[in-house]
Amino acid sequence: MSNIPENLFYTEDHEWILIEDDVATIGITDFAQSSLGDIVFVELPEAETSFDEGDSFGVVESIKSVSDLYTPLSGSIVEKNEEVEETPEKLNEDAFGSWLVKLKMSDSSQAEKLLNAESYKAFCENNA
Amino acid sequence: MNRTALYDSHIDLGAKMVEFGGYEMPIQYSNLKQEALAVRNNVGMFDVSHMGEFFVKGKDAAKFVDHLLTNDFLGAAELKAVYSPLCRENGTVVDDLIAYKISNEFVMICVNASNMQKDWDWIQSKQNGFDVDITNRSEDYSLIALQGPKSYEVLKSIDPELSDIDYYSLQIKEDGNLPLIYARTGYTGEDGFEIFASHQQIMALWSKLLSADVTPCGLGSRDVLRLEVGYPLYGQEINDELTPLDAGLKWTVKMDKADFIGKEALSELKAKFVNLKLVLDKGIPRTGYEVVDSEDNIMGEITSGSMSVVLGKGVAMARMNKEKYNSKSDLYINIRGRKYKAEKHKGPFVMGGHK
Repeated sequence: MSNIPENLFYTEDHEWILIEDDVATIGITDFAQSSLGDIVFVELPEAETSFDEGDSFGVVESIKSVSDLYTPLSGSIVEKNEEVEETPEKLNEDAFGSWLVKLKMSDSSQAEKLLNAESYKAFCENNA
Repeated sequence: MNRTALYDSHIDLGAKMVEFGGYEMPIQYSNLKQEALAVRNNVGMFDVSHMGEFFVKGKDAAKFVDHLLTNDFLGAAELKAVYSPLCRENGTVVDDLIAYKISNEFVMICVNASNMQKDWDWIQSKQNGFDVDITNRSEDYSLIALQGPKSYEVLKSIDPELSDIDYYSLQIKEDGNLPLIYARTGYTGEDGFEIFASHQQIMALWSKLLSADVTPCGLGSRDVLRLEVGYPLYGQEINDELTPLDAGLKWTVKMDKADFIGKEALSELKAKFVNLKLVLDKGIPRTGYEVVDSEDNIMGEITSGSMSVVLGKGVAMARMNKEKYNSKSDLYINIRGRKYKAEKHKGPFVMGGHK
């Protein structure tokens, strides 16, 4: 099983979330990049765009596939990682070091539904 | 769902399996890009046993197949293969296929898996008046496509009797009830062979090719490879509603040959579409995306699109509506509501190295 940092939260869509005060930094997990294969295109939202929990906020594309990115939290975008848009292969090289967006949460109670590292690890093992 | 004789090997190799044409087929093994590059630079192999094979035997075999096809088959020498659409009387395409002239009295037709039953019904319904016996051998044959610049070298090392035959030529290995056929054909633009043989023979050959370090490749890389060299795929560039003229296959319609099914309609019809190849500096075109002009008028749609593993850019084939397409307009692809500039490309995106 790929590494799963303890300090992050996770979703069943294979995203990781770092919570710092009311800002959530969102990325995709090592499991996600590995199942996608070579990531060749990333499209992320501009700052100040608002999303509701469950909305698609962007896409990652491999050579043959297009996958939506879904936000597990409502809020508005503070910043997107332009470096990942410019060099999508960074997601393959270091998924946990390549964040996608920072989102200012409008309802931080939603974070309680996120998986911790242990639960996410169990989820991956059951769905491998 | 059907499985090919190589199913267990695919699972052992860790392939990701998908449904295709009623079969569980490997879409990719470990890495699609590495699989595609193995074919471009070295050698790879595909299990394409899901494809259909029909035998047409009898005095009129070549004549009957020529009557079915828009391309010239009577003019082909023995041990030659011909790519052709199979058309209806109204000119629309039932399937696109390769016909292999083993002799003037023995033709094998290889068809798309997803059209196999439709083709079989169509061909059977047209045999009246011809001295032919038609059999469906799809269940009996397995098929490996060995593709890449080192194909000949590696296959020769396994079978020293292999001849260095020309592109679109055949070598018949065993002239039994189910001949082993080496055909210098393929769907990647590279040199290579399609090998039709019994399940047992194919399982043995696949193992030997694996031992010879041939990269097993899935249908995902096959689709990228065929798009890079601009080959059409039935269901995308070609379908039941289109004629070969609509699909950019005018070169396969030989109006100067004797009567064939669809000739009259095709002599009168004009193409309703213009087929383009497009390259994007940014963004990846996908099937079904709209092609628009600078004022957002829809002029056509993407029929196949992907990232090219060789160019590292988005490439696509597009079907443009003749009434809406202005060849002088700037072209954009509508990707999730954003417009990405596309440039027309002449010829294949990648030059394959086939003979």
